[in-house]
Amino acid sequence: MNHTLSILLQNEAGALVRVAGLFAARGYNIDTLTVAATHDPAVSRLTLSLQCDDDALGQILQQTRKLVDVLQVAHPANALAA
Amino acid sequence: MSGAEVIVQVIAHEGVEVMFGYSGGAILPVYDAVFRYNAEHARADGSEPIPLVVPANEQGAGFMAAGYARASGKVGVAIVTSGPGATNMVTPVRDSMADSIPLVVICGQVGTAAIGSDAFQEAPISNIMGACAKHVFLVTDATQLEATVRTAFTLARSGRPGPVVVDVPKDVQNAALSFRGAGELALNGYRARLRAVEQATLSDADCVALFAALMQAERPLIYAGGGVIAADAAQALRAFVDAFGLPVTTTLMGLGGFDSTDPLALHLLGMHGTAYANYAVEDCDFVLALGARFDDRVAGVPGKFAPRAKFIAQVDIDPAEIGKVKSVDWHHVGPLKRALERLTAYGRAHELRPQLGAWHAHVAELKRVHAMNYDRASALIQPYAVIEAINRHAQGRAIVSTGVGQHQMWAAQYFDFRAPRHWLTSGSMGTMGFGLPAAIGAQFAQRDKLVIDIDGDASIRMNIGELETVTTYGLPLKIVVLNNVGDGMVRQWQKLYFKGRFAASDKSLHKKDFVLAARADGFDWARRLERNDALESTIADFLAFDGPAFLEVMIDPDAGVYPMVGPGASYAQMITGDFIASRAMPVAPEATTTHMF
Repeated sequence: MNHTLSILLQNEAGALVRVAGLFAARGYNIDTLTVAATHDPAVSRLTLSLQCDDDALGQILQQTRKLVDVLQVAHPANALAA
Repeated sequence: MSGAEVIVQVIAHEGVEVMFGYSGGAILPVYDAVFRYNAEHARADGSEPIPLVVPANEQGAGFMAAGYARASGKVGVAIVTSGPGATNMVTPVRDSMADSIPLVVICGQVGTAAIGSDAFQEAPISNIMGACAKHVFLVTDATQLEATVRTAFTLARSGRPGPVVVDVPKDVQNAALSFRGAGELALNGYRARLRAVEQATLSDADCVALFAALMQAERPLIYAGGGVIAADAAQALRAFVDAFGLPVTTTLMGLGGFDSTDPLALHLLGMHGTAYANYAVEDCDFVLALGARFDDRVAGVPGKFAPRAKFIAQVDIDPAEIGKVKSVDWHHVGPLKRALERLTAYGRAHELRPQLGAWHAHVAELKRVHAMNYDRASALIQPYAVIEAINRHAQGRAIVSTGVGQHQMWAAQYFDFRAPRHWLTSGSMGTMGFGLPAAIGAQFAQRDKLVIDIDGDASIRMNIGELETVTTYGLPLKIVVLNNVGDGMVRQWQKLYFKGRFAASDKSLHKKDFVLAARADGFDWARRLERNDALESTIADFLAFDGPAFLEVMIDPDAGVYPMVGPGASYAQMITGDFIASRAMPVAPEATTTHMF
């Protein structure tokens, strides 16, 4: 099933790599990824889509929340908001 | 104050007693600052307040810091240079991440202007470590250095502990800064999530639900992992067991979290767990998992783990571990010590006392019938007998480290574990070469304790350069090499699953004279034990020696690790070998290819 995640990320050296690396290391294929500025220059918004089942989605949300640079992870469609 | 001096000041403020590291061009300013700090703050007896212990290889420094952290519960600190210094540190960082061990690793980096230019001794450490550390900082803004180093300590020890890497370019080390003495990075996301977890409490409804299931259970079991030790929850676990009478089995990382000599202790479970622990898991109808994560060495087939359990409960500090491998009926994410204290208080206040007489009798019978055993009549030295002999002296009070493989499992099975932080082993990563440097770090943490490295011939060779570190620092370490002339665990798998084709596992280690090697590195007591009848007296002499001692024991090369739950097998299919009673004749292991490992 296709899922779209919205991730607020602190603009630190290597932060984007750590998000992408987490998905790769845990075996999730990112279909699309967009990085955009927010009103706060220290914060970026990642919009990311991937294919996975619901169990895997729960796990990847929890693992993403363990990244220190991640401020918030939301799944707008499911309202599985952080 | 220079950036390098700021780093050392923060380290001193954090109460660090010892650091481990190897020098090099890109970290020289910090090394110089350490030298000057120690000279200016020398103690009355002339000793250094923060000695910097030098290994043979940076990997050794990482495992020394990890051994220090595991034995003390404090953050281990390592300082290395850029490029190869930092890449040699990758293995201990990943090892510490996998076992949730708090480390702060300071790496030198080439100057900010040279980053990305393929400079001498440059490596993309923030990329490399980002994939295996709890967090990595690349400090590009010198004004953030002080807060960053301080934050690294907070990150390493908070929540689920782990290694934090701070990559510091040389120009940042040389920058002129003013020391503030306080202040950390905001990290709003991390801190908000940490606060939520740390403040989580069990409601009355949570307690009601757990006890309702527990009071219905006839055969409840506690499955305790490394989280019991990380959370300093061993006493709270003891009180919970005293109140409600649940037997306890521990994971490899959980050994010491519950006194293994207790009548209700089932010792180790899993792939090489005791037969009685694994049968108890088969028989139980209720599981309380405490700081344990159903990993593949415990629940190789998650669907068949504890197949009769009607209720599985889990407490962990990490929300991502709940239901990751096995779905549970009840869970709590929060500090384990407080959760256990709350449950004990609730159960006592409501006079809840499970009636477990029949289950206790069953457990005692499992322990009697399926006790650990081996070929006691063999003319060859049995490794189990060596561990038992050492254990008679140590009695659960020595700190024991290991390499990885058969000797590690024998040590886990045959030692008594009576208190936390006495068992140092690379549980998740399974890193050969861990034992010797970890023991060195542990001896710096517990200078008056007996520290024993139980190692294998192949494992110790991986970091054998650290033998000289032991004698350089005059550590009274006791090092045991159980020598079976090759990779014993690999051979055991090749016998079972590859029709005895010993690919690469019997090629080397035939020429090595370990006793000569130890003598060359300054060991005055270095002996080889080859006869069974000298076992007791040699071990007594070895452990009594006042100083570094090295004992090589030539063991039965065919000694195996039993019981064994094969890859992809359930506990019911456990092989117990020729000397441990099995409940049923297990099916002979299939020699077919398995994707499990």
